[in-house]
Amino acid sequence: MLHLSIPLWCWPATLVLLAWGTVGLLQKLSTNYLSAESALIWLVAGYVLLLPWLYSSRSIFTYSTRSLVFTLVSALLNTLGALALLAAMKNGGKASIVVPLTALYPLVVVVAAPVVLRESISLLQGLGVVCALVSVVLLST
Amino acid sequence: MSLQATLRAKWFWYSIACVLFWGAWTILEKMASTEIPQETVQFLFTFGALPVAVVLLVGRKFKLEKSPKGILYGLGNGVLAGVGNAALAAAYRAGGNTSVITAATAMYPMITVLLAVTILRERLTRLHKIGLVFAAIAFIIFSL
Repeated sequence: MLHLSIPLWCWPATLVLLAWGTVGLLQKLSTNYLSAESALIWLVAGYVLLLPWLYSSRSIFTYSTRSLVFTLVSALLNTLGALALLAAMKNGGKASIVVPLTALYPLVVVVAAPVVLRESISLLQGLGVVCALVSVVLLST
Repeated sequence: MSLQATLRAKWFWYSIACVLFWGAWTILEKMASTEIPQETVQFLFTFGALPVAVVLLVGRKFKLEKSPKGILYGLGNGVLAGVGNAALAAAYRAGGNTSVITAATAMYPMITVLLAVTILRERLTRLHKIGLVFAAIAFIIFSL
C-alpha cells in the first residue's frame, strides 16, 4: 500500500507554485500592455512594495557576510536570468522553444548539488525530478 | 533548424545563460537560507535585483509605457514573485533535498495553465494534459 506523508517543505513549496503560477498568468496579461523590459522593471518595483512587510528589526549585519553576499548575488542572477530570457526572445528565439528550454534550470541544481551542497538524490527522487522536468517542458509549450 | 544552426544562434546561448543563471540563483538561495530567514532573504533580494532594473530604466531613458493596467499587472507580478521567492527560501529552510524542492517548485506552469483555462478560457492542449499527468506522478513520487 502507498504510504503518503507530506514533507515539511511541501507547504511553502505549494505557496511558491500558487504565487509563481499566478505570476505566469499576470505576465501574459501585463505584456499585452507593456514591453517585456518594462514588465521586468515594474516587477522589481513590486518587490519594493513588499519591503515594509519584510523588514525585520534584527540587523542584517548579525548574519554572516557569506550568506548576505549569496542572497544579493542570487537576486542579481535571478534578474539577469530573466534578462537573458528576454534577450533570447529578441534574438529570434521562439517562445515555444525558449520558455520550455529555460524551464530546465533545476537540471543545473541536480548536477551541481552533489558537489556544491554535498547532497545526492535517490533513484526514486531522480525519477520524480525527471517527471517534474518533463511536465514543466510540456506545460510551458 | 539544424543542430549546427541552433548552436550558432544567439537565442540558444541566451537561453543557456538563463538556465545557468537561474540554476545558480537557486543554489545560492539555498545556501543563504540555511542561515537567513525567508523574509530577510526576500528583503535583501530586492536590493540585489534593483541594479538590473535601474540599468534597464537608464537604457530606456526613464521612458516607460503609461498603461495603468499594465503597471498594475507588473506590480502584482513583483509582489507575487517576491512572495513566491520568500516561500522558496522557507521551503529550503524546512530541509529536504534541494534538487527535489527546486524541481517541485519549478512546476508552477501547471498553475498558470490551470488559471489560463479557468480565467482566460484558454483550451488545454494535448501536451498540457500529458504535462499535468507527469506533474501528478512527480508529486506522488515526492511524497512517498
